[in-house]
Amino acid sequence: MMRTVFVNPERCIGCLQCEIACAVEHSASQDLALAFREAPLPRKRVHVQAGPVPDTAYPNKCRHCDPAPCQRVCPTGAISRDASGDLVLIDAKRCIGCAMCAVVCPFDVLTFHPLAGALTPEAAVAVKCDGCEQRVGRGEVPACVESCKVDALVYGEINELMAGGRLRETGAVLAAMGSTPTVTPNGDPLAGWRSFGAARVSVNDTAQGAWLRRRRQNGARADQNGNGEGSQALDGTTREEGTS
Amino acid sequence: MSTTYDGGRLLGRLTIHDDAQQMIDRAREEGIETVWDRLHAQEPQCGYCQLGLSCRNCAMGPCRIDPFGEGPQKGVCGADADVIVARNLGRAIAAGSSSHSDHGRDILEVFSAMAHGETSGYQVTDEAKLRRIAEEIGIATEGRSVNEVAIDLADELMANYGTAKGSLSFVERVPALRREKWAGLGITPRGIDRENVEMMHRTHMGVDNDYVNLLLHGLRTALADGWGGSMIATELSDIMFGTPTPVTSEVNLGVLEVDQVNIAMHGHNPLLSDVVVTAAQDPELVELARSYGATGINIVGLCCTGNEMLMRKGVHIAGNHLMQELVLVTGALEAMVVDYQCIMPSVVDVAKCYHTKVISTSDKAKFPGATHVSFDPHRGAEIARDIVRMAVEAYPDRNRDRVRIPVAPVQMMGGFSVEAILGALGGTPKPLVDAIVAGTIRGAVAVVGCNNPKLAQDFEHIELTRKLIENDILVLVTGCAAVANGKAGQMMPAAADLAGPGLGAVCKSLGIPPVLHMGSCVDNSRVMQLAAALANAIGVDIDSLPLAGAAPEWYSEKAVAIGAYVVGSGITTVLGVQPPIFGSANVVNLLAGGLDDVVGAKFAVEPDPYKAALLIRRHIEAKRQGLGLTFIASEDIRDDEFAAAGATVGS
Repeated sequence: MMRTVFVNPERCIGCLQCEIACAVEHSASQDLALAFREAPLPRKRVHVQAGPVPDTAYPNKCRHCDPAPCQRVCPTGAISRDASGDLVLIDAKRCIGCAMCAVVCPFDVLTFHPLAGALTPEAAVAVKCDGCEQRVGRGEVPACVESCKVDALVYGEINELMAGGRLRETGAVLAAMGSTPTVTPNGDPLAGWRSFGAARVSVNDTAQGAWLRRRRQNGARADQNGNGEGSQALDGTTREEGTS
Repeated sequence: MSTTYDGGRLLGRLTIHDDAQQMIDRAREEGIETVWDRLHAQEPQCGYCQLGLSCRNCAMGPCRIDPFGEGPQKGVCGADADVIVARNLGRAIAAGSSSHSDHGRDILEVFSAMAHGETSGYQVTDEAKLRRIAEEIGIATEGRSVNEVAIDLADELMANYGTAKGSLSFVERVPALRREKWAGLGITPRGIDRENVEMMHRTHMGVDNDYVNLLLHGLRTALADGWGGSMIATELSDIMFGTPTPVTSEVNLGVLEVDQVNIAMHGHNPLLSDVVVTAAQDPELVELARSYGATGINIVGLCCTGNEMLMRKGVHIAGNHLMQELVLVTGALEAMVVDYQCIMPSVVDVAKCYHTKVISTSDKAKFPGATHVSFDPHRGAEIARDIVRMAVEAYPDRNRDRVRIPVAPVQMMGGFSVEAILGALGGTPKPLVDAIVAGTIRGAVAVVGCNNPKLAQDFEHIELTRKLIENDILVLVTGCAAVANGKAGQMMPAAADLAGPGLGAVCKSLGIPPVLHMGSCVDNSRVMQLAAALANAIGVDIDSLPLAGAAPEWYSEKAVAIGAYVVGSGITTVLGVQPPIFGSANVVNLLAGGLDDVVGAKFAVEPDPYKAALLIRRHIEAKRQGLGLTFIASEDIRDDEFAAAGATVGS
């Protein structure tokens, strides 16, 4: 079992909600209107980086590598792996801000800011995604995933997510093939590929959604949130219940 | 200022009413989506927008300011958080002010057409009020016919919308000290449309980049609503449909009749509902209903159309804003007739699950999936009969097995126009002033505004109101707040027992409830008039009076405009839902602090009804102290209720 926040960058619309949700989640007040007045400021750990062409973006965050290069080079042992094995965590109390972790990070996701719980209140320490371990411990999905309305960020067991992705690819290929016979010599030869593209990035029947729905139909996962059953059945997405 | 309190979460409930909860449960059983499901799907909502830090005003954007300081601190144009928050707030005020004022214009146009003899179904019902208002704004009435006076009044008020002569006609009603204050600040409202147009202009990129200047114009835009568009709507509605007098009615979903054709009038404007109420009594249509097995035709109200009908005719009211989908879920409604404002597009979808017809009537408010009957005042009576007939024709399609009317109705009293209140007091505000001076009544609070699914429906309205009356503070209600208190049984004379000894005794001697229904949301102009009358009776400005406003469950832009004109008129107002301004500390500091030095009133945000009551009580006692009246020191006003509730509320 390797549970992770998986990124579908083709879906990201650059709304930055994940950044806000992340910062609020890592605040003392847990309240948006108060969080940005706290000292030290709560910091986001997901970074929506604009792409080289307009309207593209990639929500970048710690991939929690194993073995983690940052953990190997940390001279004070501030970086460790949690008991579940899914997360790489930084102990702010032991961070000396040397930035060696940033040097070796394959994804450049480290930032340096003063942080509550650090050795000194002023010194910048390494800040990165902690996998929302407290939220996940409560049975919730990470804050960035909850805030993402378009499934650019999804949470789950990596092999299940990939299986869902393959299901989507299969649907896309079949959609392209299925439309091919209708293409006449004078017709639009791109129709098949358009169908492929539409299925490939379809939002309403997401890869992970379809996969998780099927699992649910098979009774693989009981709905633990009976209270919200009605509304979940209505909103068409299964992201939260499937991962709770 | 606490911001984390959540009435819904505290209670673990979506609503505190049995009728609403039963219908929510039923909607869930039947797979019908409601406002609460859609809110759930939207959460968590956009953080930038909640803070007011997003701007969509131009195509160099859209832009956002990063509240945490790592990202951009200016939009593409260079606007910082202060400008963006102030521009967004200004546009919200303009939208709310425009809504009330356009409603007022529709009434004014029908009033004018009526005076020219061009309408069907409309007449002057309160001729004395027509003549009084005409004289008030300098129109000769002596020896002139009703229609002659009405034509002149209509022309004069139409000029209020466009280029007025200096200021709006009803600004004359404002106490002189307040008028001087407005003139000094340059916020005297000049023309109703003008202030709205100017706000749209100022908030265009590259115009008004000073948040203080923008917010001052926000007050002026709102004042053009409260003392202009809304006031015109109220006054002309009174002239045409009758000035309200105390009347007893019934409220909640129990007002639906299991064996009658039920028609819900939903929206805001009384132009249509008034003629529909008349049409429903047409013997031919009643006979048609009987031929289908119904025993009659039952008109009920929803939202402010409901308040308009209740105030003047005692028509029963099914509920407020969050009841509009749930009333359909009873399966007992033949037609929901709508005009405009606060009508969720979703009512069409919910109605499709039943036999209910949604009939839209305003050409400026169409609802795909509804039947549109274009309302034309020239044929008002005929169109009203057509609408009622459509509803009656739907009765045979009702599925009796799906009809569930959940509860028995509750009685509530309405009809407290300023004229009615002064009438009950013997024609002058003096007895009320005397009671306030003596301290039997500590002050008065207008509890107004909407419902918001982010809070347990009606909880804040009812609890705040109850805490206030328990402390001898007279409560005036309009809009959704009135319906909430009606359902809670706090609006009958017997509710005087819930009030403190001083207020309770006054209510018992006059036979009135401690919570007075003053009408729809445009009728907040009545609250302004009453406040002005009190100030003039004492000879002070409005901001010296022991008054406050509260919008505990507000949601709409109209509520933003109301809050702004109430504060601009000198009455401090407490909001129960956080407005999208917290992204700018400067704007917050001005609205929640600096404004007090400028207009003698300010905003506060307090989502907890018990803490809001505490805040308001301290404010009222401080105002009493300012007037040299008996007062209770702030530290002696303690909130034991909240501690008893055992809830934890954020910082």
